[in-house]
Amino acid sequence: MSRVTVTVRDSAGQAATAAANYTILPPVLGGYYLSGGADPTADMAGGNFRSLTQYRSFADGYVFPGYNRPWLVTLGRSGVLLNMVLELKHYGAPDTGPQTFVVDGVTHTVPAPTMTIQQRPGTVWPKAYGYGQVLAGQCDGLFARALSQYRTMGFGVNIQLASELDTDHEFGTTESGKAYTWAESDGRAVQAMTYIVDWFRAKALPQGTTFSVGLGGFDRDCFRRTHPESLMTRLDHLQWNVYATSPGHTALDRFRRTKDWAVVDLGPVALSRPVLIAEWGVRVAELPDQAGWIATVPPAIARLNAERGPFIARTNYFNSGWGALNPKVTGLAALRAAYARPPYA
Amino acid sequence: MAAPTVTASLNATSFAPGAQMLLTITYGDLDNKTLTVTVVVTDTQGNSSAPVKVSAVIDPLVVTVTDTSGRAWTRVSDNGSVAVYRAVA
Repeated sequence: MSRVTVTVRDSAGQAATAAANYTILPPVLGGYYLSGGADPTADMAGGNFRSLTQYRSFADGYVFPGYNRPWLVTLGRSGVLLNMVLELKHYGAPDTGPQTFVVDGVTHTVPAPTMTIQQRPGTVWPKAYGYGQVLAGQCDGLFARALSQYRTMGFGVNIQLASELDTDHEFGTTESGKAYTWAESDGRAVQAMTYIVDWFRAKALPQGTTFSVGLGGFDRDCFRRTHPESLMTRLDHLQWNVYATSPGHTALDRFRRTKDWAVVDLGPVALSRPVLIAEWGVRVAELPDQAGWIATVPPAIARLNAERGPFIARTNYFNSGWGALNPKVTGLAALRAAYARPPYA
Repeated sequence: MAAPTVTASLNATSFAPGAQMLLTITYGDLDNKTLTVTVVVTDTQGNSSAPVKVSAVIDPLVVTVTDTSGRAWTRVSDNGSVAVYRAVA
């Protein structure tokens, strides 16, 4: 908190003073993700990129830093803050069967995942370790393997559990043959996320370790259900993703949608947590002036952060899928220019 | 002599780094008057010059701005009752 004081004085020395308090917010960290979890070092070089999202499945034998990803350690050690999205979702390869592996001399056996998520009609439903499996302790070996690898990194990261719980649950889930509605799935996920965070927090963690849970943020009821204060006391960030996919979408509207719901619906602990935007993007099909849209983001974030409610602390551009920069050179230049301006710099 | 009065307000309470900050100061003093002196020169034949007016402020107020963070505030405008200062967050 700073204070500016004004004094007016007349020739006889009589004076009056008035003061106004203000706060200078920390810079927002501009961030990135490159399609396929590929090495983003070249894209980030020389730009004000200070945050990075990565995705890993707990099913994978190489969670930290990931298979053939030594550059992640280099980036982390150079001060780029990592948001590691760790998913119960099984990415499908090489197989989805049970696993037996050794971590720090201890043999763990983890059964095959028994839940399906993202049950959109007409699609193949991905497998995931079930919330019931987590609560039964069947996935502890997966967590032990990830933690053991994490400890070798040499720095702390944000562990974001799940990418988007709303996307995962939108069409219900099924575990061990039993179907659960969207709302039921949200409730079960909160229990499982609580279990996982408690499991990690009970262990020695690298300094600077923080936790969050992942949401697309497109459904108000789901966002409320997945952010009870009991869970938020265990978490360090709020998180949602932001996409512009319609010609009418403005940066201010898109970034503020979930924030506005949160301000009304969530409790004081949740609202005390800074926001980590793990993904944001502009879909070029509907918004051909992708670069122009990106240029409107810094003032939008500045305005939102000047309003009441949680502080948007990190925004990681998703250069893939809906957010694919096209043409890349133009989009990346716009992103670099945006991150060179307040509130990023 | 009356005591001066002052109020100060900022255009926001929190600012992103690099953002423009505007400080509006409203001030006054009951005995701080602007006096207009009108001068007319008349000769012995009774010819008069056109009147010339000049203003003088009696007991002008001095405005000073200090900041606990050492931020420099520069004056953008001041009409004698409302002054606007600017700084960079």
